[in-house]
Amino acid sequence: MNQYKAVNWNTPENDYAGMFWEQNLRQFWVDTEYIPSKDIDSWKSLSPEIQQAYKRALGGLTLLDTLQSHTGMPKLLDHIDGLQNKAVLSFMCMMEAIHAKSYSTIFTTVNSTAEINELFEWVESNKLLQFKAATIDKFYRNLDANKVSDETLFMGLAASVLLESFLFYSGFFMPLWLAGQGQMVASADIIKKIVADESIHGVFVGLLAQDVYKKLPNPEKSKEELVKLLMELYENELKYTDELYTEVGLTADVKEYVRYNANKAMMNLGFEELFEVKAVNSIVLNGLNVDTTQHDFFSKKSTNYEKSMEVVYLRDEDFQVEAEPVF
Amino acid sequence: MVTKKWILLNNEIMVKKDDEFSLHKDKEAVRSYFLDYVNKNTVFFYTLKEKIDYLIEQEYYIDFYQWYSFEQMEEVYDLVYAKKFRFQSFMSAFKFFQSYALRDDSGEKFLERYEDRVVAVSLFLGRGDVAQAKQYAEMLINQEYQPATPTFLNSGKKRSGELVSCFLDEIGDNLNGIGYAIDSAMKLSSIGGGVSFNISKVRARGESIKDVEGRAGGVLPIMKILEDTFSYANQLGQRPGAGAVYLNIFHTDIEEFLDCKKINVDEKVRIKSLSIGVIVPDKFMELAEKDEACYLFYPHTVYKQYGKYLDELDMNEMYEELVTNPLVKKKKINARHLMVKIAQTQKESGYPYLFFKGNANKGHALKGIGNIKFSNLCTEIMQVSEVSDIEIYGKEDQIRYGISCNLGSLNIATVMENKRVKEAVSTAMRSLTIVSDITNIAMVPSVQKANKELHSVGLGAMNLHGFLTKNFIMYESKEALDFCNVFFMMVNFYSIQSSMEIARERKETFVGFGESEYANGNYFAQYLTKDIAPVNDKIAALFEGMEIPTVADWTTLMNEVKAHGLYHAYRLAIAPNQSTSYIMNATASVMPVVDVIEVREYGDSTTYYPMPYLDNDNYFFYKSAYDMDQKNVLRLISVIQKHVDQGISTILHTNTKDSTRDIAKYYIYAHKMGLKSLYYTRTRKASIDECVSCSV
Repeated sequence: MNQYKAVNWNTPENDYAGMFWEQNLRQFWVDTEYIPSKDIDSWKSLSPEIQQAYKRALGGLTLLDTLQSHTGMPKLLDHIDGLQNKAVLSFMCMMEAIHAKSYSTIFTTVNSTAEINELFEWVESNKLLQFKAATIDKFYRNLDANKVSDETLFMGLAASVLLESFLFYSGFFMPLWLAGQGQMVASADIIKKIVADESIHGVFVGLLAQDVYKKLPNPEKSKEELVKLLMELYENELKYTDELYTEVGLTADVKEYVRYNANKAMMNLGFEELFEVKAVNSIVLNGLNVDTTQHDFFSKKSTNYEKSMEVVYLRDEDFQVEAEPVF
Repeated sequence: MVTKKWILLNNEIMVKKDDEFSLHKDKEAVRSYFLDYVNKNTVFFYTLKEKIDYLIEQEYYIDFYQWYSFEQMEEVYDLVYAKKFRFQSFMSAFKFFQSYALRDDSGEKFLERYEDRVVAVSLFLGRGDVAQAKQYAEMLINQEYQPATPTFLNSGKKRSGELVSCFLDEIGDNLNGIGYAIDSAMKLSSIGGGVSFNISKVRARGESIKDVEGRAGGVLPIMKILEDTFSYANQLGQRPGAGAVYLNIFHTDIEEFLDCKKINVDEKVRIKSLSIGVIVPDKFMELAEKDEACYLFYPHTVYKQYGKYLDELDMNEMYEELVTNPLVKKKKINARHLMVKIAQTQKESGYPYLFFKGNANKGHALKGIGNIKFSNLCTEIMQVSEVSDIEIYGKEDQIRYGISCNLGSLNIATVMENKRVKEAVSTAMRSLTIVSDITNIAMVPSVQKANKELHSVGLGAMNLHGFLTKNFIMYESKEALDFCNVFFMMVNFYSIQSSMEIARERKETFVGFGESEYANGNYFAQYLTKDIAPVNDKIAALFEGMEIPTVADWTTLMNEVKAHGLYHAYRLAIAPNQSTSYIMNATASVMPVVDVIEVREYGDSTTYYPMPYLDNDNYFFYKSAYDMDQKNVLRLISVIQKHVDQGISTILHTNTKDSTRDIAKYYIYAHKMGLKSLYYTRTRKASIDECVSCSV
């Protein structure tokens, strides 16, 4: 008979599960906190080409987040050791679902139903986008078995990191670039929350992958497979970038950015960088910086505040401050 | 749409080379902004005459010829253009052209440069007195004083909004009162005002209506309506309306009030864009300190028992009485837990503001007339208010004091360097007075009444941290305290002097002067025992060449005030001034900076703003507010507060790791140090790298 275990948070399983759990919780947010309706005027002022690129970028992101929440995270957590790690993954899984929905919150606000339907049809029929999803999904589906080899698990985790740390960014470029120039700013608040989440997801799954990688008898072989997968996705990503961004003239910038993030994904997996990256567009790079920014509470909502995790009460001595006379 | 070069250049400041930011890129950004954008989009005129006539004929400007001849106007233009003004940072230029410069009706072409705006404001406020207009012009182009946004933006324009933008009022506990508040909110918001309401008089959820228990909906539904009202009436879509509500901490709806900012709360009771503030009487702090049982009261049962609103009772006197009266319905809570709940809410949302009612009223110069009950959207306005009785059609309303305030700020660095504290304060007071004189908000009679009778203004200051850094003084140091003590004493002195002179010239004081602490001399007590002068040599050197008022000067002033009165019921208030400080290339208000290069997110742009005068030598003096002991900041504010009759917008800067207890301790300290309010609490997030590296 199977012995069922309950997750015991009293004893840390590893150095990081508890920390990531806390960080995830602290970052928790829901799409409806934000007010994309402030962007309606901005949306109307954009050229049809930009609108198209923006919609498609976000449509593509929706597909990736859907894949991640419906397949990626559930499959991975099935094979990961440690109940605390599983708990963290399941929380991330829920956030992915919130991400996938939040793009719709933006669409619903600025687009008509007909436009939205058309967009989702595009998502389903675009070969390059479907290729991304299918390629990643293949590695997730390999995890369907009851027991899988460490090699298969490593590739599943690595595929997830590539998706989170690499494939998302050709899509993020558009909203970040616009927001840096004062367009679609309220919606960018949502995007920035997603970016902040994806960045810890990538790091966490990357750490899990590194743990598995250490156990592999023939690690070089797996690394080769990883690099092959990355290059395959990279080629596709270049074409996808052409398709999305040529009309708005941003292709070169986006490609540089894609390489920059491919490197980041490799680093999350504990490997050296693959591409030489020259100058990444500063506007987008700065937009990624999720450190605290100054804002005016009346004109926008802040992305800085976080759920307060622990409540510490006051004690008697806290009141024993004497107001010393200064002069 | 291509990447805008100036924005890219401005972003490139952040690229580090040899561990230093690329600050020179900011100058390139300014240059590119002018060459590639502003100059190309500015309407060109051959002569000044052509420009002025065009602007007047096309109804951009009011008809200045009613007051000035062309030659007189030319004098003012010449004076201003001769100063060869240049923007010191991209942010300054960008903010000015983005938000303040006059554009043609298509919105595409600029009709004004910075100099032109300065002249238009000066001519407008000069009202035909060319000498006075020149004084304004000199002060503005020297960047010694900056009027608040509505005044700077709208002065001289034919089609424009109001010159003031800060309003406050009470909400009465009946449908007429609530309706009046909503109506006022809509009207004031549509003219660009930020409006704050005291909602403490409204009966709590579950109280009786017409003596039927359990019918009242409490304060939340009204807040919801106000929030929607503000977002609807948004000044022609130019900027979102903004509003705040304050609730007394003893009101039983307080917990629900705080929860409205929680992110996962039901849509019906969630407040997204309305700001909230809590009114904290001394009694509450005392109960928390003693850790005694604390009771919240159902305000309508209090009113029925005493014929007075809970919010207007002196809780020091009445608390025990309310607790023992069985007919007053109450709810028992733990005061310390409530303080921690406030801290928790602040950690999650930055709200609520805190208004320390006892401190605000302790030195209140109009205590003979009434109490200060709450504050405004930026927690620096503190004036007497009283709820109006609004009647049905056909019966006359009893209109009492709402609050209207118009603001402006001195630039500490320039007034100190030009040694013009006295002149700048007096000229600034004149310009604020004109704004009050010509403002007439007839659509909200309670606000109109207050402005007409009290002539309140709020002169503040900016660039404190910038000035200190430029002079190699640390913000948290003893020298900084020394400087502030003397500087703000001088501002206080000259503002009283100026108000007295205006009263003397016009033979008119604010209504109620006779019952004020100015009239009986009590207000001056703190200045009559000992001279306030710099203690530190370095600070003394900064004041060299300026006269510092002594006890004798204060005594003379007191007697002059007794003889002639004051024109303004309220004079000083230190606003957070954000946009306006950028134009001035100044640090905001009297707060410390958050970073040497601020990342500034607006509703319409993200811009990188290197702090004024920043270079490799003074870098160190721009210590981030997040790295400071907040007690040092609060202590500095407490020194300034002694010389300011209204309040000071004080922001707490905390880090993710600060616990709710750490934050609540700041409230205790602020209260004990005599601060009147706390504005937002900002939080610096731990970066992902930081939290990963510390544990993996």
